[in-house]
Amino acid sequence: MTATESPVLADRPAHVPTELVRDVDLFNLTQPGENVHDAWKRIQTECPPIFWTPRNGGLWMITRARDIKAVQQDHEHFAMKGMLVPNNPRPFPAPPLDYEPPDHGPWRLLVSPAFSPRVVAAVEDRVRQVCVDLIEDMAPRGECEFVSEFTKVLPIVVFLTMMNLPPEDREILLPPADVIARSPDPQSIHDARLALKAYIQKAVDERRATPRDDLLTKITNGKVGGEQIDDEHVVGLSTLLLSGGLDTVKNMLGFIAMFLATHPDHVRQLREDPDIIERAVEELIRRHGVSNTARLVREDVEFLGVQLKGGDQLQGVTALFGLDDETVPDPMTVDFSRPAPIPHAAFGNGPHRCPGAILARREIKVWLQEWLPRIPEFRIKPGTVPVQGGGMVNNVNELWLQWDVLETDGEA
Amino acid sequence: MPSITLSDSNGESTTIEAEVGQSVMRAAADHGIEGIVAECGGELNCATCHAYVAPQWLDKLPPPVDDEKVMVECAIDPQPNSRLTCQITVTAELDGLELEIPASQY
Repeated sequence: MTATESPVLADRPAHVPTELVRDVDLFNLTQPGENVHDAWKRIQTECPPIFWTPRNGGLWMITRARDIKAVQQDHEHFAMKGMLVPNNPRPFPAPPLDYEPPDHGPWRLLVSPAFSPRVVAAVEDRVRQVCVDLIEDMAPRGECEFVSEFTKVLPIVVFLTMMNLPPEDREILLPPADVIARSPDPQSIHDARLALKAYIQKAVDERRATPRDDLLTKITNGKVGGEQIDDEHVVGLSTLLLSGGLDTVKNMLGFIAMFLATHPDHVRQLREDPDIIERAVEELIRRHGVSNTARLVREDVEFLGVQLKGGDQLQGVTALFGLDDETVPDPMTVDFSRPAPIPHAAFGNGPHRCPGAILARREIKVWLQEWLPRIPEFRIKPGTVPVQGGGMVNNVNELWLQWDVLETDGEA
Repeated sequence: MPSITLSDSNGESTTIEAEVGQSVMRAAADHGIEGIVAECGGELNCATCHAYVAPQWLDKLPPPVDDEKVMVECAIDPQPNSRLTCQITVTAELDGLELEIPASQY
């Protein structure tokens, strides 16, 4: 990803010690030819455990696992409503993200069941079918652009299926979802959010008129504190559900595919013993964290020997938990026999821990289960370079893969 | 310290010492009981700390709050004796508590 360099450098506030200033731009992370996670590791190694960057409005960043986890769990001092960098407000209410306990619980309860073990088990067959269809379509061609042909498609089709919305509507939703994911321009993101919101509004209106037995109807009729939720909050929450599982899963799939395409020994291990796929997925997730949510500091507080002020923004880069050598032995190595529990914070911690974690893992696992038997030894297509970068979500935006098409009877 | 016996779906059981005041989930996690996953860390978000309470113990537990009743239905194969163990607080009266861990939390 080649985001334009953030043009504005915020002035250092008086309470930020000069010696803790480092110029780190989330949207311009990598040096030429550098992988995203190598860039993050470099920042972790070169910078102090807490530092302040003048980019993107000016914010604190923390780099060590124990501190990242502490912040994610400490909702009394750190609020999820400050998760976006730059910290521009969304054009709609965003429960449950906007709230902390005790208000947070009832909103989260509307969301958690939707991605629970029981529901994920029920959609697994559909996930599998989508994977099979996409893979069987590309297998005879000997190559694919894995992002446009797979990683962008699977998560949104899964979402639409779970929400009982037409799978073909992905054509409507992908362009604004893309803008939200990639654009550094606040106005473009704002407009894209409104486009998603409009789509959800229409679906909600349809269900107010004609209730259906689906999640969106449940949310539309949902109650918090005994009160019906108003339309703005219904649409806001539903829009969040849409955007929450698109980019994250897309990019995790991309990083994992990129890794496997360049590490044939690891692929061999998976082929030899498909039973290890589930734990391998966990290890690959550890190594390739994607979500870079920040927090709003709720009140003045001392943290890591630094005086933070209420209203400051602080980003605990989740990917860095899994890459922290102070917590994880040999973190840059992907080791499928790393003992459980595999240490990472890819899905966060605390009350806002990702509700989609089970579904995300299932999508990745099912993809591998269906990919490995159908695609022979695969590599990055010679002459191409994957396009990857940082951002609110670490991303892989172009990945050409190639494999040798097997000669079969009657086929060219 | 109260003891809790956790059996798995194969019938093998482990007895652990728990601390009064911690959740059964936390006691299980501290003793490395892998069958209690507890993804969300006890926030009543994930339904992966699910266990079946031995019938003779079911009524001795304080009843579930409404939120637990919603979430326990989201576990795999919930039964009338299903509980989410992050919501059961260990007390001296629960010494000897018996639970069965499901074959899978997923």
